[in-house]
Amino acid sequence: MNEFLGYHRPDGQVGVRNHLLILSGTVYANSVVERVAAAVEGAIPITHALGRCQVAPDLRLTRRFLSGTAANPNVGAVVIIDHFEEAGCTAEDIAADVAPTGKLIATVNIRGGGGFIAAVEQGTRIAADFARQLSLQQRAAAPLAQLLFGTECGTSDTTAGLASNPANGLAAERIIAAGGRALMAECTEWMGCEHWLTERAASPAVAEAIVAGVQHMEARALASGEDIRGSQPTGDNMAGGLTTIEEKSMGAVKKLGPSPIVEFLEIAETPTRDEPGNYVMYGPGMGAESISSMAAAGCQILTFCTGGGHTANHPVMPTIKVTGNRQSYELMRDTVDVDVSGVFFDEITLDEAGDIVFAEVLRVANGYLTKSEALRDLNSFAIHRIGPSI
Amino acid sequence: MKTIFVIDASDNVATVVVAPLQRGDAVRTNGRITDRQLTALDDIAYGHKIALQPIERGATVQKYGLSIGRATREIQAGEHVHTHNVESERGRGDLRSETAKGETR
Repeated sequence: MNEFLGYHRPDGQVGVRNHLLILSGTVYANSVVERVAAAVEGAIPITHALGRCQVAPDLRLTRRFLSGTAANPNVGAVVIIDHFEEAGCTAEDIAADVAPTGKLIATVNIRGGGGFIAAVEQGTRIAADFARQLSLQQRAAAPLAQLLFGTECGTSDTTAGLASNPANGLAAERIIAAGGRALMAECTEWMGCEHWLTERAASPAVAEAIVAGVQHMEARALASGEDIRGSQPTGDNMAGGLTTIEEKSMGAVKKLGPSPIVEFLEIAETPTRDEPGNYVMYGPGMGAESISSMAAAGCQILTFCTGGGHTANHPVMPTIKVTGNRQSYELMRDTVDVDVSGVFFDEITLDEAGDIVFAEVLRVANGYLTKSEALRDLNSFAIHRIGPSI
Repeated sequence: MKTIFVIDASDNVATVVVAPLQRGDAVRTNGRITDRQLTALDDIAYGHKIALQPIERGATVQKYGLSIGRATREIQAGEHVHTHNVESERGRGDLRSETAKGETR
């Protein structure tokens, strides 16, 4: 149980999928991206609303998200389609960022290629060739130490902190025990239990970064006129039985187990360290931005704990939905993969719930499609932004 | 018998997760403490907490093996535990010491 079957990349990383990604460099290339992806077997389109007229820090963030997503080990080949050659975030800039991975990369510029129809033709021809090259690659055994396992929660309810999240924390510990790494983002949800995280920090610098990260996110919210802490827990949280912010936050951070926190990452930043353990990342609670930041950091697989039954699914990072709410599972079973509500009905123990999540992570890493993948639900690519469009 | 769920063996509260409790209901625990029996002293809604043991005024209310606040009055085993008898010790100006460094991201 300490291995999975993955696609070994030229740079030594291992993907759990062998995706052909058609990536939009700018909002104005989205339709070309969609046409190319629709024309080629197995191609995954990623489109977005950014990459043009952004303030400099936002354009850097857009580039980090796009380059990181293309560099994700689950992507075997990428065609980047661009139009404006926005300085600092051109298709060539992204290609240069991704080049060290050694994967198949091509760029298409709509104007440079002779316009919309020519760009669709050019992109389709390249993508079809890439698809055939990828089809020759086969899975081979890799140690779990190669896995960067992401974890997220959304539409949390009373059951989340008691069943899906702790089951996930147990699964994360098993991955770490096998040499892997676990990553959690959403630092808005650490408020009130920073001490639990800082006690696990591998160094004082990591502890300081955790506290500063939460304060920074809080300050940004305050600057917008919102006090995210003055209203925490929210009225509906309290009606649901949550008494204090520390109770709410503890439920959220239980997605990780008690292993040391090795590194604090900026949003969408790839870990610089490779030792087993927990990793945490600055970022918002917004699910699509959060899981996109983890995919851009290199996570090959993610569990999404959801009391309410979320539909979130990243286009290139399999997103396993886990719920502890039986009613949500019944309502949302089209896209929710795992039901661990049996812990409340004397059907399974918490440890067994952890085993179930771990087994599902391994199965999906080996190629088993998540429910959302089977439905080609590609809904959760979103780029975090700081400032206005200009 | 209705069940209540304990997430850490060191906790002094459990959560109502199967069916709401009515005053006088006999209940038993599952989760990290199994088959401890007690009687509900209040009506307690789904998702809310019940005291597993007496908690003195000022004492730590513990869930997840950690403090989720302190009791603002004495709480009996079987009582509803919520904002009427627990207060947060976090996120309060009088307890804050660190200040943001003003770094930009």
